[in-house]
Amino acid sequence: MYKRIFGLLLAVVFSSCIGFAQDISLGHVLIDGEDWEKVVGDMQFCDACCTDGAGNFYYSDVGGGGGIRKVDTSGKVSNYISDIAGISGMQFGPDGRLYACQGRARRIIALRPGTAPDIIVSGVRPNDLVVTADGNIYFTETSTRRVYHTNLNKKGRRLRIVAKDIAKPNGIAISADGGTLLVSDHMDKEIWFFRIEEDGSLGCRSPYASLRLRARFHPSKGDGMEIDEMGCFYVTSDLGLQMFDPTGRMSGVMHAPQPGKPLVSVVFSGRELGYIYVANGDAIYRRKVKAKGVWQW
Amino acid sequence: MKISNLLSLLCLLIAVCDGADDYQLGPDSLRKKDVPQGKVTMHQFSDSKVYPGSERDYWIYVPSQYDGSKPACLMVFQDGKWYQDPRGHTRVPTVLDNLIDSGEIPLTIGLFLNPGVIPAAKEGAKPRKNRSFEYDTLSDQYARFLLVDILPVLKRDYRITDDPEGRAVCGISSGGICAWTVAWERPDAFRKVISYVGSFTNIRGGHNYPAMIRKSEKKPIRVFLQAGEKDLDNLHGSWPLGNRQMAAALKFAGYDFRFVMGDGGHNGKHGGAIFPDMLRWLWRDYPKS
Repeated sequence: MYKRIFGLLLAVVFSSCIGFAQDISLGHVLIDGEDWEKVVGDMQFCDACCTDGAGNFYYSDVGGGGGIRKVDTSGKVSNYISDIAGISGMQFGPDGRLYACQGRARRIIALRPGTAPDIIVSGVRPNDLVVTADGNIYFTETSTRRVYHTNLNKKGRRLRIVAKDIAKPNGIAISADGGTLLVSDHMDKEIWFFRIEEDGSLGCRSPYASLRLRARFHPSKGDGMEIDEMGCFYVTSDLGLQMFDPTGRMSGVMHAPQPGKPLVSVVFSGRELGYIYVANGDAIYRRKVKAKGVWQW
Repeated sequence: MKISNLLSLLCLLIAVCDGADDYQLGPDSLRKKDVPQGKVTMHQFSDSKVYPGSERDYWIYVPSQYDGSKPACLMVFQDGKWYQDPRGHTRVPTVLDNLIDSGEIPLTIGLFLNPGVIPAAKEGAKPRKNRSFEYDTLSDQYARFLLVDILPVLKRDYRITDDPEGRAVCGISSGGICAWTVAWERPDAFRKVISYVGSFTNIRGGHNYPAMIRKSEKKPIRVFLQAGEKDLDNLHGSWPLGNRQMAAALKFAGYDFRFVMGDGGHNGKHGGAIFPDMLRWLWRDYPKS
């Protein structure tokens, strides 16, 4: 009897509460009193924010040519790999090597401290990349308006164009489950979503989310991207760090630490991947948030 | 737990979900013994050119009086599963049965479309939910989806009127603003709109409609807006205020509209309860003689 009444009433409750998507505001992420704090300053131009699974943070001083530096969870800064210049995007692969875009040298390289760079792809001008658990690399080539794919596991690596005709493809990110690829456009407002097909190609392209612009026809400066454990995604832009819920609806814009300087890269790192780190002109900043990043391997 | 405690807990839950609205379905929303029932069939669509890769269920309601001798009017419903559900908030097929039988609305075929989902190719990966992208975007893409992707499929089997006055779009929440967007973009194809608790808020720019309506040449659209005092107020905006702004703009611009503000929340109870009257108002002079 109890069960019947309970079941009936539950059915009434659920049929009257329609299952709309949850609304996720900036308040789900920001913590009162926790603003941006400077991590490293006095660089020429920093970029390529990246993390490891322990929450150590990595970046490059692209403009200064200072190589790749590491900030551990206690805040200590050290050289990670010192004689590599001009890295604009990087990520650790499942093999523990650091995969990096070196645009001016026209190549993607895999790095391990103390060993020579392993050239993965050459003859391209990569801007930013992602590496997947099953050994696929996707990267943007802004000048040719393309996204490329290659597979690390196959002999005679084939490089192929998997998306084109994006005005200025720049940042790139992948969903935690490896099913969806996101590409930001530095010129237009669109964040492009793609389905990763079984053969690694990209399908079902859609302008799934739109960046807020400073003014109409003003470039979005959409750049680095990151996805948190809820599936919300974050895009650096002209106006700040723009956050979207998993269904592509804008949650809000976080101001840049230095609004007059370019905000170009973002990653969750630090203890428990509970901080958002950004590259903002000559400095790296971070802030503690309620959201957490995802470590894939 | 005692039954009385259980009951009070669940009443509290209902109150939290719904606000205080206790709207009930009237006799026109319930099956009448001597009224013939139309037929509802379920289908899948996965061949969209406008939303590549998307898949969705949809349902078609065909009234028992339809015999193909003359074109039927058309009503399209977003979140179609809820609208066609015989135990749902609106029970459209039953309402259409009753009002077509009584001659209060024209012979009408119902099309109930779910939002699209793009399944992942990779095993275990999550599908991409396309509801917000399809419903909240201010562009002609959903109208094109109806005209390019869906109507040709429907027209293979049924005669549908080409008269835009004979075609209506209806939806709830984001589906409500979507209904307006379809008519706003393509009044040559759809001219009748019903919105329940429509999301005229800034999910993807929908808060701009009142301003656009005031500064655009009037379009030949007839629209019924239902809203609720206890509707959402969140990061995207205030639903009651958004709907009031819409109503004020429609009045300013001289539209043929009705606006009803109830005391409910973000659900289909009020809209469902007055749906038969919405239809009477929407179709009151069709076909024009």
